[in-house]
Amino acid sequence: MRNFIFFIRRFFNLILFLALEIVCVILIEHTNTLQGNDIVSSANTVSGIVYKKQSDVVYYFGLRKMNDSLLNENALLRQKIDRISSVDTLKDSLVHKKIAGTDTATHIVKYADYLYRTARVVNNSTNASDNYITINRGTKDGISKNMAVISGTGVVGRVEHVSAHFASILSVLSTKQRISAKLKNGTNGFVIWDEKSPDLLTMIDVPQDVQLRKGDSVLTNNYSLYFPPDILIGTVVKTQALKKNGLQLIYLQSATNFHNLQYVYVIENKMAGEKKQLEDSSASKK
Amino acid sequence: MNVYLKNILRFCIIILLQVLILNKITLRWWSEPVGFPIFIPYVYPLFILLLPFETPVWALLIMGFLLGVSIDSFMNTAGMHAFATILLAYLRTNVLSALLPRNLSEYAGQQPSIKSMGWMPFLVYSSFLIVLHHLVFFTIELWNFSNIGFLMLKVLASSVTSMLFIIVYLLLFTKQSTSRI
Repeated sequence: MRNFIFFIRRFFNLILFLALEIVCVILIEHTNTLQGNDIVSSANTVSGIVYKKQSDVVYYFGLRKMNDSLLNENALLRQKIDRISSVDTLKDSLVHKKIAGTDTATHIVKYADYLYRTARVVNNSTNASDNYITINRGTKDGISKNMAVISGTGVVGRVEHVSAHFASILSVLSTKQRISAKLKNGTNGFVIWDEKSPDLLTMIDVPQDVQLRKGDSVLTNNYSLYFPPDILIGTVVKTQALKKNGLQLIYLQSATNFHNLQYVYVIENKMAGEKKQLEDSSASKK
Repeated sequence: MNVYLKNILRFCIIILLQVLILNKITLRWWSEPVGFPIFIPYVYPLFILLLPFETPVWALLIMGFLLGVSIDSFMNTAGMHAFATILLAYLRTNVLSALLPRNLSEYAGQQPSIKSMGWMPFLVYSSFLIVLHHLVFFTIELWNFSNIGFLMLKVLASSVTSMLFIIVYLLLFTKQSTSRI
């Protein structure tokens, strides 16, 4: 017995070493089985917390990249929705840019008139009487004059000046332009801005007999040369009847928040040129 | 500073350094020749290397086990790092007594460092143990002896990088102003 204790004391380090190595081998062995090993893995509490803290910090560095990718995905989805909604059941509409072969049985032609591009807002103003927004896309990215610009929530404006790498957008908050709009029931009118507040738009040319409630939405209509139909412009705040001509003014809460605009979509209408040419030529003949 | 507090702090710092920074860097050779292994520098054995001279072997073994298991739990390699680290902890005393001119018990209150040992003995001491650690670890990790050359290349490349990081760590975290004996 004395010899045994002596032996243990003498070789204590070696025994401890071998014992710990055996524990390690058992651990390695366990990991290689199907059940795995939950104690010594990053699923346990301490390393989980450390990794969580780290990802919380690193997350912020990736936000911009993530924003951009979400934006691109949104543009893609918008384009897809457009393709689904733009189904022309007339046989003779082959002039549109076809995206799928004509189904000869139903004569349905699928076409995509609008092309969406994403852009980041680099400068913005809301307090002038004609407000301009600068974006980081230009002719090199395929932007040209008069393309429509929308945000994730609603209409923003129209491209007015383009350089190689930038474009400036005349926003809806301008006295220079009017946007043709429609109410839910199909009544058409125009949306203008009266310089009072960057959140408040005005819709004109609506007959008085149209009944409206607060919160009703106002959308772009099919007549516009540049905007796709059914983009939200704003929601009704209040109405005001005009006695002299039987029309009413509708005050709208703008759908886009112009104060913190960061990303926009620029929309190219591929059929705009042809449509405008036709309309101009018919107007000049009169 | 109290030697216990100092070493506990160093334990935490080295683990965080290894897990949060070095593990995120996957080093490749600069021109990425075909078949050259990718590797991570492992700096954490430095904690065992820097414990005071008079630390008993059983304490070294237990701390090696704790360190290895902590790293394992972060890297999901249950036991592999612990195995290599325990071996390193066990051999540390022997390597030190072989390298130092006097008996280990005469260095009371000191720890292995460039200052107390000199550049050459310390580099020999640390690089020998680091190479051993890497050799054992990568052998267990790969567990494939059909391509010894690949394994050796991986061990060599990883050891060299680890040693570079260790030297940088020592230069950064050593007090320069204290006078020599």
